[in-house]
Formats: sequence, C-alpha cells, structure tokens
Amino acid sequence: MRAETLKGHLDFLLLAIVADEPAHGYRIIEALKRRSAGAFDLPEGTVYPALHRLEQSGLLASSWAVGSGRRRRVYRLTARGRRALAGARREWRGFTKAVEAVVA
Amino acid sequence: MIEGYLRELDAELGAVGIRGSLRRRILAETADHLHESGDAARFGEPKLVAVQFADELATSGARRVAFTSFLALAPAGIAYAVLFGLVRTWPDIASAKLLPLAIGAALTMVLAPQVAFAAGLLTVAQAWRLRSESPAPAAEIAVLRRRAAVAVGSGAAAFAGIAVYAYEYSSGLPGWWATTAFVVSGAALLPIGGAAVALARNARVRPQAAGPAGDVFDDVAPLIDRIPLSLRGRPWRFCLLVAAGVAAAALIAGGPDEGPRNAVAEFVAVCAAFLALGRFLGLRR
Repeated sequence: MRAETLKGHLDFLLLAIVADEPAHGYRIIEALKRRSAGAFDLPEGTVYPALHRLEQSGLLASSWAVGSGRRRRVYRLTARGRRALAGARREWRGFTKAVEAVVA
Repeated sequence: MIEGYLRELDAELGAVGIRGSLRRRILAETADHLHESGDAARFGEPKLVAVQFADELATSGARRVAFTSFLALAPAGIAYAVLFGLVRTWPDIASAKLLPLAIGAALTMVLAPQVAFAAGLLTVAQAWRLRSESPAPAAEIAVLRRRAAVAVGSGAAAFAGIAVYAYEYSSGLPGWWATTAFVVSGAALLPIGGAAVALARNARVRPQAAGPAGDVFDDVAPLIDRIPLSLRGRPWRFCLLVAAGVAAAALIAGGPDEGPRNAVAEFVAVCAAFLALGRFLGLRR
C-alpha cells in the first residue's frame, strides 16, 4: 500500500499499536507491518517523526529504557491518547460501516 | 554502514535546524533501530527523514509556542488594563525628565498593546486552524511565527514603555502607581520573555513542506458565514470595517471632548498597521 494512502491514518494506527503495550520504535513498526499482513510497509524512518509529534501533542509519552544492551526510547499511551484513540475508533467504525453500505 | 548513515543523518538534522538534546535523541533512536533491523536503506534517505522531522516538529512546536505566547500575554493585558484604569489624572506631557524619550514611551504604551492584542488573537486563530494539519506548509509556519513574534515583541515593548513612562513622569504620578508600574512591568516581562525564548528555539527548525499560507479569511473561517459576501476575499474592505469598529469604540470611550480625535487616530492607526504589517502577518497576500 502506498504511503500516501496511509497518510491521515498513521496517528490512529500508531496509537492503536502502543495501546496494547509500551513499545520502542522498531517494535511499533514491526507490529504495524505484521498486523497489516505487510500492507503497511512504510519507509521506517517516516514513523519516528510521527511518534515525536504524537508525544509533543501529549497523546504519547516516552522514556529511555535499556534493552538488548542498548538505550532505547519506549513509547506509551497517555490518558489523553487513550481518549483520542477511543474517539478515532468510533469515527473509523462509523466511516467504514457507511462506506461498506454504499459500495457493498 | 550504520555509522555512516548516522553521520549523514546528523548533518542533515543540523541543516534543518534540529540541534542539541533533540538531535541526540533522534540519533540514538535511529541507532537503536538500525542495530535492530540491520538495514539502513529501509529507514529512508537521511535528508528526507531530517526534513520530515523538521516539518512535523516545526508544526507542533509553532502551534504550542503560539498558545504559550497568548497565555503569557493574556494576564499581562489584564494587568495593563487595571494599571491604566488606576490613573485618575495623567501628568502634563511637558513635565517629563527627558521629553523625547517620554513621548516615545507614551506612544509605545498606547499603540504597542493594541498591536500585541491583534497579533495575539491572529496567532491563536491560526494555531487553532492548524490544529489538525500535520505537517503544515512551511509558509503557514512562517506566518504563525511572525504573528507570535509581533505579539510577544509588542507586548514586551508595551511594558517597557510603561516602565519608562513611570520613570519619566514620576514627579507627576502618585508614587504607588509608579512603583506598581515597575513591579507589574517586571512581572509581565518574565513570561513574555519565556515565550520569546521558546519562539526563538522553534524558529531554528526550518520546515520545507510545500503549500501556500492562508490569509485573514482562513483564520476567521468559523465565522465566515457571518461575514458579508462583499467583504470575503477583500482584505482592505475587511480592514476598513475593523478600523471603523475600533474608531466607534474609541469615540464612545473618549466622550464628546476626546472621542472624535481618538476615533480618527485609531482609524488611521489600524489602517497604517494593516498597510505596514498586513503582508508580513499574512492578513493579505
């Protein structure tokens, strides 16, 4: 799937992945790839600016942790992020239901 | 290979103005990622990654700085109004210690708050408009930063003007008022200075996202239905309407003696400010 298609949905997808458990960037990208069965296979460097922006917006928080002998930044959902995710899920379900009703 | 990629990314981040701890953090995250994946090519061109960081961080940072500036200016504006309201009789203009400086201070403390108020409102309106746009075009970010800079700069000038005025006319003003003016000015300049520092830091990041900046009609889009069709897309007509509103307020506030003179002065000042700053602040294209 082209990156352009994903634009506008990336924030929602990243929040949904981090909602399951705190994760570092590489794990988030792997989860995105795995859970979409390879459909969301983005240039990996494009995900980090989005993670930083979500953190600046207060939807994610991050801290350093040590894993595999290296320092890594672990992201987790904030309370505000959880509310935003719930709202985005509702909106998405309503949208897909409406589209399905039209195109099915 | 990883080291080479990180060196290149480091240079590209520097080229778009990302420095200090943020740059170190981005490099550390990238290093961790590359050690995990072992494939630098999949991470993307260093230049593209750096530009994307600049676009995203400049957008969210400029928005935050815009709201911070407004929050610093709003209480300062209230303090300014209270300070003005406490003066019953203004001293004779010729009683200053150094007349040219005193006149400059008086003009600044009257005009600068109005510019700060208008620029501050425009800053917040634009930041609100851009709240879900990510990344915003670089041209939008430039206008947002300029608006915030004018708001913060004018706010600082207003309080500096008050302090100088209080000093220049200390013999003709109540002692408690002059002291209060110094204290309020000092207290107001602290958050305004903080906003200026945050703005300067954000301005170092150079976004490159393409696209045009909006104008005043985009900023007032939520109210656009209430704006007469004859004004939409005509910034000068809009300016004249605002100037007329400000003049009417000055006429009412000034009473029969000073009202007409103040109204004309305000009308001219609004039009002059629109002429001088209209393009700079993205009010007209």
